[in-house]
Amino acid sequence: MIQHLADGILVGSILSLGAIGLTMVMHMLRFANFSHAELLSVGAYCALVFDGVFAGVHSGLAQAIGSLSLTWTLALSIIVSMAVTGFSAVAIDRLVFRRVRALGGELSMVFASFGVAMILRNILGLIFGLQAQLYSRDIVFAVMISSDPLLLIKPDQVFSLVAALVFMMILHLVLSRTTFGYALRAVAENPTLAQVSGISLQRMIILIWLIGGGLAAAAGIFYGLTNQINPVLGRDLVLPIFAATIVGGIGSIYGAVLGGFLVGIASNVALLILPSGYSPAVPFLIILAVLLVRPTGLFGEERP
Amino acid sequence: MKKHMRNTSIAVGLAAGLTAIGGAAAAQDCTTKIGAVLPTSVDWGKPIAATAQYVVEQVNAAGGVAGCEIEMVLRDSQVDPKVGVDAAKALVDLDGVQVLLGAVSSGVSMPILTSVTAPAGVMQMSCCSSSTAFTGLAEEGKTKGLWFRTFATTGVQSAVAAMVAKDKGYKSIAILYKNDDWGQDIGKLAAADFAAVGVEVTGSVALNDGQASYRAEVTEALKGQPEAIYLALYPKEGTAAVREWISLGGTQNMIVANSLKSDEFRENVGLQYLGNTTGTDTASPRSASATRFVDQYTEHFGSAPSGPGLSNSYDATMIALLAMEAAGKDSSGEEIAAMVGKVTDPAGTPVSADAEGFAAAKEILAGGGSVFYQGATGNVRFDANGDVSAPAVTWGFSEGGIEELQYISLDEVDSFMGSLN
Amino acid sequence: MIGVISYLVFFSTVAAILAIAVLGLNLQWGNTGLFNGGVVAFFGAGAYATLIFGGTPQEGQLGGFALPYPLALLGGMFVAGVMAWIVGILTLRLRHDYLAIATFGVAVAFENLMRNAEALAGGAQGLRGFERPLFDALGGGLAYNSLFLICVLVLLLAVYVFLERLIRSPFGRLLRAIREDETAARSLGKNPARIRLTSFITGSVIMGMSGGLYGTFYAFISPQDVLPILTFQIWAMLIVGGAGNNRGAVAGAFLIWGAWTASGWALSRFAPQEVQLYTGSVQFILIGFVIVGMLLWRPQGLFEEKLVVSQQGRTATKELQGDRR
Repeated sequence: MIQHLADGILVGSILSLGAIGLTMVMHMLRFANFSHAELLSVGAYCALVFDGVFAGVHSGLAQAIGSLSLTWTLALSIIVSMAVTGFSAVAIDRLVFRRVRALGGELSMVFASFGVAMILRNILGLIFGLQAQLYSRDIVFAVMISSDPLLLIKPDQVFSLVAALVFMMILHLVLSRTTFGYALRAVAENPTLAQVSGISLQRMIILIWLIGGGLAAAAGIFYGLTNQINPVLGRDLVLPIFAATIVGGIGSIYGAVLGGFLVGIASNVALLILPSGYSPAVPFLIILAVLLVRPTGLFGEERP
Repeated sequence: MKKHMRNTSIAVGLAAGLTAIGGAAAAQDCTTKIGAVLPTSVDWGKPIAATAQYVVEQVNAAGGVAGCEIEMVLRDSQVDPKVGVDAAKALVDLDGVQVLLGAVSSGVSMPILTSVTAPAGVMQMSCCSSSTAFTGLAEEGKTKGLWFRTFATTGVQSAVAAMVAKDKGYKSIAILYKNDDWGQDIGKLAAADFAAVGVEVTGSVALNDGQASYRAEVTEALKGQPEAIYLALYPKEGTAAVREWISLGGTQNMIVANSLKSDEFRENVGLQYLGNTTGTDTASPRSASATRFVDQYTEHFGSAPSGPGLSNSYDATMIALLAMEAAGKDSSGEEIAAMVGKVTDPAGTPVSADAEGFAAAKEILAGGGSVFYQGATGNVRFDANGDVSAPAVTWGFSEGGIEELQYISLDEVDSFMGSLN
Repeated sequence: MIGVISYLVFFSTVAAILAIAVLGLNLQWGNTGLFNGGVVAFFGAGAYATLIFGGTPQEGQLGGFALPYPLALLGGMFVAGVMAWIVGILTLRLRHDYLAIATFGVAVAFENLMRNAEALAGGAQGLRGFERPLFDALGGGLAYNSLFLICVLVLLLAVYVFLERLIRSPFGRLLRAIREDETAARSLGKNPARIRLTSFITGSVIMGMSGGLYGTFYAFISPQDVLPILTFQIWAMLIVGGAGNNRGAVAGAFLIWGAWTASGWALSRFAPQEVQLYTGSVQFILIGFVIVGMLLWRPQGLFEEKLVVSQQGRTATKELQGDRR
């Protein structure tokens, strides 16, 4: 039980990072962005490329940090990849979503995002091949925290969790302490009023994509670090991330964080109750249960 | 090239008509199309399709089939039954193929068989569809003898796995299986076989496709603290699950199905953890030609034919083309299907699984003889339902790749399976 | 030539079957505004139930009641309807994205249940043992396929006419009233929850019919047929065709299914041999571009929603058009 809970929290941190960006986009631009999870793949592959480049430039950096399988080059790549993925998200918005937004309704956006997801996923497959890849082939053994009840934790997972929490904390500070944060919240609550008071909607949208894309990249890299990288990584993660967003309530960043952990824990603990063949359905049954009690998610607000 | 071909033909033991081979290799002025519906957009599907293409290249190099060059029209099934069925229908109706290779998943192969190939009288040869439903359909006479698969029944593999567990003296074992038709089948059979030889099954855990993490499943399997683990998985989820398993301190005593006979799996898990891994598979024939197949394949692709379904795909394509050769130019699907027995005839002349073997087979068939194809997966023989039975091997991972550990003849497999009941 | 006809008959059958499901979705989304993200669950319920009711007995399985075909198909529709009733009661008070993800979850759970419940649905191996009516009598070839196509087209037409009448009826007016302004509708003494549920069940029964026909055509159904991709395909057909317009729904079905299959065919024909292995991925990229391109080119879909006036339909429409001019 304890082991399942711990695993759920560790997996959940990745989902939370993905869900933060998704909930912001869903709230601001009012559409369910199915291509968001593909940004995780873009980020993961981006880091794979930069990891190789940095290791080529300075081989001394290609050493594992402490007991992690993470190397200095990969740590550097996280930052670069977050930036690149953030700008890719902005570029995709420019190329597709902004145009569709100007023309059509919510559903057009949803299906444009489906199309974008398909294109991104298969381009990655063509470039990098369909097979799984790893940042490091070394297997880092889990550390036994306690033997009864049995609790084993992998160092990489702890790193991912801590790093995810740090990113979330930075975001929290930005949102609650800076003018940008206030502006963002103002736009989210009432775009028209916010624009009247001199906030540029365009700029806000760009910033949201940058943040969402950056966090998605981090999530993708942490996923790759603790599991593996493959072109369908985004497709496999899209549903849990959506589940986290919806459970938390669309538009609530703190809800998304909590939702990520909830979905992570739920899918891990589920195995205690149901045969493993049913595990894909469990997060959704939990969503259903949450929505029956709170129809707009845990922290979501009714919107017109 | 021609000279080389002659030499090997002699090695195969062919006496007659040597001079004719030179003529056969001359440029063909006609093209025969065959169809292939395979999941090229999926990680494990693409190499299967590449293998089929490789066979076509080899056969064309050996002069083509019945004097014509073979053109394989390849369509992606997207692992979506309606897409695969539509592709098959287009191949049959628009391209007029009489032989269809595919599909991989039983869920795609089955509707293709029931609504495209069987009604149209087109021969369908699948490398990898494992569902027992095909046997049932064939017994009812609904496949019209047009259906074949080079995938040996899973019963042999699970029995050999039990044999290995018993020989190694494992007391308890956990099972991780892929939650599809093949995995459910082999998972169930293996559980029964392990129990029959007195190995306690501590848990049987299904792994669903495309899940973000298999951590929970692995933890679940770890719970019974088994002495060994049995894996019926594909490389993608196999790699993820085994890396988790090992990092969580799970046993390195592993028995794995042939789907994990893959370099990708070996490299991504790491050889240092695979020393105690024993795999099961159907055996390639006990002849010199078998290693030549592996060598040629390795030379062509830069990696050994290891990976789910690769050898099966090779044999499926080769047997289909041999049957086309035996049936002659412009034969119908029914006529070609009727010739499958003639090219896998245990009383026939053995031919190897390569271009030379194909060239040799042409001669024998032209002379009215029958051929015993020595396939990459073994001495393939089909029963009345289009199913294959074969001897088995166990294998392990080594520095150079994958090496065979033990050969288990068909009789041994049969008698061991008999002892299980 | 006969091959081309044979293929077109086959293609049209699948497209027409999918068009029926798109019509069902159009009632739910286009006319009522219900974001059903679990189309495949109701489609699948119809398919599985039809095969269970109409199939021959199979060892170790519940199915095989061998009912006469029309009864089996009606049974499939009935099961889809019952499922929609239960799901509807639970979820229809949710809005938009929340409803979508909840119904999506239902579809995932449905696929999971079919994949694991061997006694009920054959597990991952799927359900077989279904005898297609008249299949053997007609030899199973083009003759059978043509007859089946005619049956499907008749049913498609029947559903189309039924829905056209329905949306012109007072009930249809109510649906749109609720879609546009629920509070106003309620203030007029209508019960929106009840009406939404009726619309949801009706649409799902139509999807169940589509699924039943699909299972019949292949005489086989497996969990691979009820993956979320089908929900996406059916939605894409509706959006590209034009939500709210039944003609658009049917056109969208043929267009998207055509693009889906023709892209594969064209690649296999025109791509050089060396790149054939990569055409699977390229095909998905092409399909993605077609969808994005369509949405940029005609965001409202091929056919826009028509202004429907229930009474004195013709004159009112004419007046409206007159006003516009």
